[in-house]
Amino acid sequence: MADPNDTRGALRRIWDWFWTPSSVLSVGFVLIAGFMAGILFWGGFNWSVAASNSEEFCVSCHSMETNLGEYRETVHYNNHSGVRAVCSDCHVPKEWNHKMKAKAIAVKDIFYEITGSIDTAEKYEARRTKMAMAVWKKMKASDSRECRNCHAFEYMDFTMQEVRAGSEHQRAIDQGMTCIDCHQGIAHKLPPNYLEEYEKVARALAPGTRPEAHQSARIDAQAIRSFLSDAR
Amino acid sequence: MLEFIGTIAGNILSLPGILGFSLGLLTRRPALAAVFGGLVGLLEAMIFSGFSLAAAGGLELAVSVAVGVVAGVLGCLVRRKGAMV
Ligand code: HEC
Ligand code: HEC
Ligand code: HEC
Ligand code: HEC
Repeated sequence: MADPNDTRGALRRIWDWFWTPSSVLSVGFVLIAGFMAGILFWGGFNWSVAASNSEEFCVSCHSMETNLGEYRETVHYNNHSGVRAVCSDCHVPKEWNHKMKAKAIAVKDIFYEITGSIDTAEKYEARRTKMAMAVWKKMKASDSRECRNCHAFEYMDFTMQEVRAGSEHQRAIDQGMTCIDCHQGIAHKLPPNYLEEYEKVARALAPGTRPEAHQSARIDAQAIRSFLSDAR
Repeated sequence: MLEFIGTIAGNILSLPGILGFSLGLLTRRPALAAVFGGLVGLLEAMIFSGFSLAAAGGLELAVSVAVGVVAGVLGCLVRRKGAMV
């Protein structure tokens, strides 16, 4: 094997070996071996993507714990039927190409975790608006695709919903609105001035939309109080 | 920017990248490989937008076609370098 006259570097030799036609392996052997290796590789790849969708994985980063705590107070974590939506159900698309895109973009968060962009409560609050806007933008642009993996207007029985929900959902269908237009803060605390900030996102995506079309589904205690006192 | 890089990465790991590359392996002619890859890119953009050009979005479509073309040509290069037929 070792030829004293061979002056090629190690890398070069590996490169040349790699491209040398095989004379000892049959085509069938190479194909079958390649096929098996492909299955192993693909299985491993798929498994790691699935593993990176678990709640445990998301909150393995300290930065994500604030959101975990807030989410634990909401119906998507704890409810009468026991059906849950975990982080990835809302934040990671199911369709392969959208999923790969989301995963690729999320690699940036490793950098932010190391630099500690949101590692204290103060830093978190300072950055919340910016992060929430990124999420809104994604959901508005995708017509709340992730919500619609579980929820659909078509199958909602408006007569079984609260009066306000039923009539607002009818309005949403009529005006072509999407879930995030009203349910901005479905799983976490909202940033201050969220309605204004949400308007900015919506307007940047669709110039010319009527701002009053967007309204929060949050219960506005102040408005109810003033309504009640007016009624009296 | 982030959105753009993400779109590219997403396409490399889905049909345009993988099927485009495989189809490129079938030919020694780069132009044909590029056409194969481009078609896969077009197909992917159409499938994921529910077969409506309007919904596909210009950038989305351009990136998936471009990634398909590059993957196809890369597959073709591997064929030229690595096979005698
Ligand atoms: C490597 C640690 C780490 C892991 C794992 C992680 N995150 Fe994050 N994530 C971060 C950091 C740090 C930020 C803050 C980025 C910034 O400052 O802009 C962040 C930001 C976010 C944002 C804000 C919006 C955005 O795009 O910037 C969302 C949503 C999010 N993460 C969801 C998730 C979900 C869902 C998972 C599990 C699939 C997850 N994260 C796993 C560290 C992590
Ligand atoms: C029911 C859907 C849903 C679930 C489940 C969910 N989120 Fe969110 N998430 C949202 C929405 C909507 C926003 C944007 C508005 C907001 O801030 O609440 C958001 C925003 C965020 C942000 C940006 C910062 C912020 O507070 O606005 C981070 C980080 C985040 N989510 C992480 C997580 C993590 C980690 C989990 C799992 C423990 C999780 N999310 C579960 C819907 C969800
Ligand atoms: C994994 C499936 C799943 C996803 C994804 C999901 N939800 Fe839900 N959601 C549920 C279930 C299940 C319930 C009902 C829990 C119960 O009451 O049993 C629920 C309840 C709700 C409620 C009722 C809240 C209440 O106080 O009664 C709202 C509003 C809602 N979801 C909005 C959203 C929005 C907006 C999104 C997208 C950001 C979303 N959901 C994503 C499964 C999901
Ligand atoms: C026009 C504003 C608007 C839009 C758009 C909207 N909702 Fe709602 N929704 C409301 C209001 C208001 C309520 C009642 C207040 C509450 O429960 O938070 C509500 C309540 C709900 C409830 C609880 C119903 C009940 O009575 O148990 C669910 C589930 C829900 N919305 C899901 C969705 C989903 C999924 C979408 C998108 C496909 C969506 N909503 C879009 C305004 C809206």
